[in-house]
Amino acid sequence: MILTGTEISRRVHNGDITIAPFLSKNVNPNSYNFRLAADMKVYQEGVIDIKEEKPTDDIHIGPEGFVLEPMRLYLATTMETMGSTKFVPTYAARSSIARLGMFINLSASLGDIGFVGKWTIQLLAINRIRVYAGMDIGQMMFWDVQGDIDLYDGKYQGATEAYASRIFMDYQKKALPVPMAMPSTAHPLEVVDARAAELDGV
Amino acid sequence: MVLTGSEIRRMREAGSIVIEPFDERQIEQNSYGCCLGAEILEYSSEQIDPHLGLQVIRHTIPEEGLVLHPNRFYLGQTAERIGGVHFASELYANLSTALCGMFIQTSAPLGHTGAVICWTLEIVVTQPLRVYAGARIGKVCFWTNLGGELKYQGRYVGSEGVVPSRIIMDSK
Repeated sequence: MILTGTEISRRVHNGDITIAPFLSKNVNPNSYNFRLAADMKVYQEGVIDIKEEKPTDDIHIGPEGFVLEPMRLYLATTMETMGSTKFVPTYAARSSIARLGMFINLSASLGDIGFVGKWTIQLLAINRIRVYAGMDIGQMMFWDVQGDIDLYDGKYQGATEAYASRIFMDYQKKALPVPMAMPSTAHPLEVVDARAAELDGV
Repeated sequence: MVLTGSEIRRMREAGSIVIEPFDERQIEQNSYGCCLGAEILEYSSEQIDPHLGLQVIRHTIPEEGLVLHPNRFYLGQTAERIGGVHFASELYANLSTALCGMFIQTSAPLGHTGAVICWTLEIVVTQPLRVYAGARIGKVCFWTNLGGELKYQGRYVGSEGVVPSRIIMDSK
């Protein structure tokens, strides 16, 4: 089941959902409208190799806004710190944004339970579009789960700004010795730590 | 409802979800992390007509990786056969993949109940991107159903490699 806006507000107040800052006027019937922060990143020219860290340049959206070049990827972030320890978050563009000819994620709308941070969103405009910091750009939804919950502790946890891809870390990790089969009961804390190192899905 | 990672593990053991090959370390909070298979395909037809056959070129991603280019459309596949026997599923890119400027599906995330397949991926990149077979690129989540189950018996049953569109079957 998907949460209603009323339920999202209730869960923000009881701590099951984090949305900070939280504005009542941004609550929709089934989602919460989040805003575009002023700082973005773009990759430098050339081939991105997923095994290597690709340098980025910073872009700051001033009061006059910033024009997105068509088909160029901008790594932007939400102004809000968001997440939930009880519900699966997914997000989408606001319909009014999509109708301008813009993606805000590239087939990656599914979040992980337990991720709490500023979300790096992927702006890709089909048209030349001027964006402004603070504009309502997307909407976060929350879904009920079945099963025991294990909280996210991966490589994007606690993000405070737009992150470039950390996929290259998957390859650094593979160079480490492969862990033996995980103990089931002996050292539960160690199990959690060992898994945390592997849990990098988002 | 969306299944949590522990529930995905439990339902797989019960036979209600299929993931092959399966690696415990790829279980995520509310999804299973899937990898890129070695085969990449491109259409070579000058134009695509849903009523005509489609010409394709097949590539195998070599050891040193394959550079994908913007303004082209590729089909790939998951290295795993994944699906819900009693659950609906959806496939998404993981954040790391999307942050590289890569779509792995273009507005078609839904997997039907009973569709246990290697998923064909629709790949578009925004900047040249070197990818490797086995890269952890996606995540599949599972949804509980409400209502009587109809099992998927569509045209992609049993897909094990990259399968180009079979939309031509709509017109037969």
